[in-house]
Amino acid sequence: MSRSTWRVLTRRPGRVVGLGILLFFALLAVFGPSIYSGPLAIDPNDIYGSPSAQHWLGTDFAGSDIFRELVLGARYVLETAALSALFTVVIGTGVGLLAGYHRGATDSVLMRITDFVLTIPGLPLLIVLSTVWSFGRPLEMATALGVTGWGGVARAVRSQTLSLRERGFLEAARGLGLSSRHVIVRELLPNLAPFVAMNMLLAVIAFIGAEVALFFLGVVPFSSSNWGVMLNQAVFSGGAMDSSAALSYLLSPLVCILLITFGIVLFLDAVDELFNPRLRERT
Amino acid sequence: MIEATGIERMFHAHGAFTGARVVRALRGVDFTLPEGGAVSFIGESGCGKTTLGRILAGLETFDGGTLRVDGVDVSGLSKRKRSGVFRGIQMIHQDPYSVLNPTRTVATTLAAPLKSVARRTDVAERSRELLTLVGLDPESVLPKYPHQLSGGQRQRVVIARALTVDPRVLIADEAVSMIDVSMRLGILSLLRDLRERLGISLIFITHDVATARYLGEGGELHVIYRGEVIERGPVETVIQSPVHPYTQCLLSAVPVLKGIEAPGPDRLVPRATLDAAADTPGCLFEPRCPFATEQCRHEHPSLGAQRIDGEDGSAGTQHACFHPAVRNVAAVDLHPV
Amino acid sequence: MTDTAAKSTDTAVPAQAHAEVAVRDLTICFRVADRGELPAVSHANLTLAPGRITGLVGESGSGKSTLALSLLGAVPPPGRITGGSVTISGVGDVAALRGEKLRAMRGGQVGYVFQASQNSLNPLKTVGKQLLDLGRAHDVDDLRGLVRRARELCELMGMDGARVLDSHQHELSGGMRQRVGIVFALVLNARVLVLDEPTTALDMLSQAAVLDIIAKVHEEIGLTTLIVTHDMGVVSELADNLAVMYGGRIVEFGPAEELLRSPSHPYTKALINATARVTGDITRAQPLPGRPPDLASIPGEGCVFRDRCAFVMEVCATVEPALAPSAGRADRSRACHAEVETVTAS
Repeated sequence: MSRSTWRVLTRRPGRVVGLGILLFFALLAVFGPSIYSGPLAIDPNDIYGSPSAQHWLGTDFAGSDIFRELVLGARYVLETAALSALFTVVIGTGVGLLAGYHRGATDSVLMRITDFVLTIPGLPLLIVLSTVWSFGRPLEMATALGVTGWGGVARAVRSQTLSLRERGFLEAARGLGLSSRHVIVRELLPNLAPFVAMNMLLAVIAFIGAEVALFFLGVVPFSSSNWGVMLNQAVFSGGAMDSSAALSYLLSPLVCILLITFGIVLFLDAVDELFNPRLRERT
Repeated sequence: MIEATGIERMFHAHGAFTGARVVRALRGVDFTLPEGGAVSFIGESGCGKTTLGRILAGLETFDGGTLRVDGVDVSGLSKRKRSGVFRGIQMIHQDPYSVLNPTRTVATTLAAPLKSVARRTDVAERSRELLTLVGLDPESVLPKYPHQLSGGQRQRVVIARALTVDPRVLIADEAVSMIDVSMRLGILSLLRDLRERLGISLIFITHDVATARYLGEGGELHVIYRGEVIERGPVETVIQSPVHPYTQCLLSAVPVLKGIEAPGPDRLVPRATLDAAADTPGCLFEPRCPFATEQCRHEHPSLGAQRIDGEDGSAGTQHACFHPAVRNVAAVDLHPV
Repeated sequence: MTDTAAKSTDTAVPAQAHAEVAVRDLTICFRVADRGELPAVSHANLTLAPGRITGLVGESGSGKSTLALSLLGAVPPPGRITGGSVTISGVGDVAALRGEKLRAMRGGQVGYVFQASQNSLNPLKTVGKQLLDLGRAHDVDDLRGLVRRARELCELMGMDGARVLDSHQHELSGGMRQRVGIVFALVLNARVLVLDEPTTALDMLSQAAVLDIIAKVHEEIGLTTLIVTHDMGVVSELADNLAVMYGGRIVEFGPAEELLRSPSHPYTKALINATARVTGDITRAQPLPGRPPDLASIPGEGCVFRDRCAFVMEVCATVEPALAPSAGRADRSRACHAEVETVTAS
């Protein structure tokens, strides 16, 4: 990592904390299932057990260890969210850039499509879709979420592009004879980078929320280690809203989601500086 | 090399209360820029000189007249050919910061056109060559971002970038106005050097008459008022013996360095500027002219080499005035060498 | 000089003697990452003669705007005054003022026209409304009188007062907005006027008009005035006295005309030679080599100008020359090791 990148990251302690949290969950998602391989052990004698030395976070409705479930479930949640954010941002940025740069007919057509996508009610559509499509794999869910969610990014990137267009350096680049492709990719995109990166991180938070909501509502196939399903079980089967027996079961995934969001928010602070060389010099 | 005849440009403006209005930014400008020549345009803000510069650089269209570059009429060319032609005419803007990409280093900024447009294989060497040519130290400047350079350095980088595509003409639009007075001469000498060593022609647009003197031999000065050229000739002649009242007002407005210079004997006190008036059939400068007569109100003077006080005008100068008279308004050097 | 109380009406403060401004040993430091506090202005000594116009000339980064802001007690953080004083007669040390007193002093005692003040007007309010805001912020009882005063000042500057007060900033030209900036600085009957780069971004005719107005206003009201600029021409037309600044230090001071005719500091001389002029031999004009230092590159010891100086000597590398009276006169001073004759001769 170059010196200036290191300096940007360590300038405020919050950023390091944020990055640490994100790295922790990323490692958990990648390596967790290998460490905790094998099917979940069921223990009918210890249903909704409280946290103990053997089960750090207690047990669920079937006596399985909650901690293990969290670790196993992390991968699906994070992979889906990351992929959805990637799709959304890539499609949205592409559309917004092209519309803003070329203007005219291209702009009109692309913006009408964007408007259409924006009007699609995301969550209800996904609920309906779930009746015919089981989102078993992260890629499937990510596609569904990503394809319906890029409208906002497209609009925002388009307006950024329109205002950047007025900057002299674009006109100069065209005057020198550089191609449109060069101008869009090499001149415009680097200036949009902080905006796009921030949107991507924020999109991850939004998508975690969206998919957990879907699972909570019970519209996707059951898989006990899924965080949303854990919430569903905790509230509807474990009576977490009434008694404290399933409290740990309810809180564990919630706290994880909270932590990830917190980590992203803290790390966001560094993103602008990372991409914008001008901000790095200031005290 | 560049021949402009009767260039016209109109803008359609909508005032909130005045309805649709046509603003005539350029009203038939003619001039010729020879190979290796230097033509300067001076005038106040809003006189149309920036619009002219942009038209000549191919950044704006024009509504009337013809523009020929190396004998070829640009209006008849395809979009691709036009790009090619105007690539040989590069613009140097007033604000060097806004024309440099803030997220790219000097090295990348220069490499892009060298690689993609000039198709050179010796990109690194050529970058160094160009930076040295413009008076910068390549080692210290190449890795820097625009915000890490001073105004003068940025402007030199912009010039180096313009040179990457081997232009034949540089159009400098207020290229030194945003640079400290102490650094201006450096940039002006650079432009003069480029002219002398590489034979690049210059079109220099400015409101500061003094800077037009430093562009080298054989420079021409054209004075623009409200979209038309009202006086033109060799730089020194127009400055020392201006004939049109507007030129004389402009020259009178140049600050005099007390102790080194004395005000010109005929120095005019500049009049308060009026807001832009509507078009009149007569001379456009008449409302502000200290010497206007009835004739000026009704007839429009055209640019030509009229006789002044019974004598032929100075060689090579032309003016558009019914009552031209030489007035020594420019400051006088108290200690001429 | 005219009695300002008689001219203006009930907004009047009592007629005042001309204010003298004394900057003594002023040091203003800024915090820079990894380097601690660096001085943007270092041990500056400057006296603004009462009722006169003083020009402060220097390149970008010389510290001149920072010095000017200290007269207003408005050095922007992370800068702070670490030594010295700025004393305005009748007010005391500006650097020591706080809170209400400081606010009252700004505008009330010192009128400041900011750089590019064409752009410092609120685009959403008319000029007149902003004027009333100003009056209320300074607890002016007679707002009508304030408006009247503003209109008088507008007429003085060749503008239609009523029309200007009713306009929004986009309805006025650049030159007019600059003049409005000056009106705002004067309307509260300040005793000191500071103009920071009053003619940057204006073309020749507008510049001449603004300079004309500053001269006219000075004739009418006679305030102690400081004009900060990088343009010798601007300063030459107006200033009685001239101070030249480089790298945070005042390097030369004296009557403007004399200084221009025979500058005794190498920097002043080089600056004059580097100015583009309409007269004179163009081959004699010499650009200044190198570039002006910024905060981080000002040398810590020795003369700050030595890298670009044509008269540099060995002693310049280690000993910083102090600003001392030159030619045995109280009204002229310079900070240089070289002999006056050496510099003025060549």
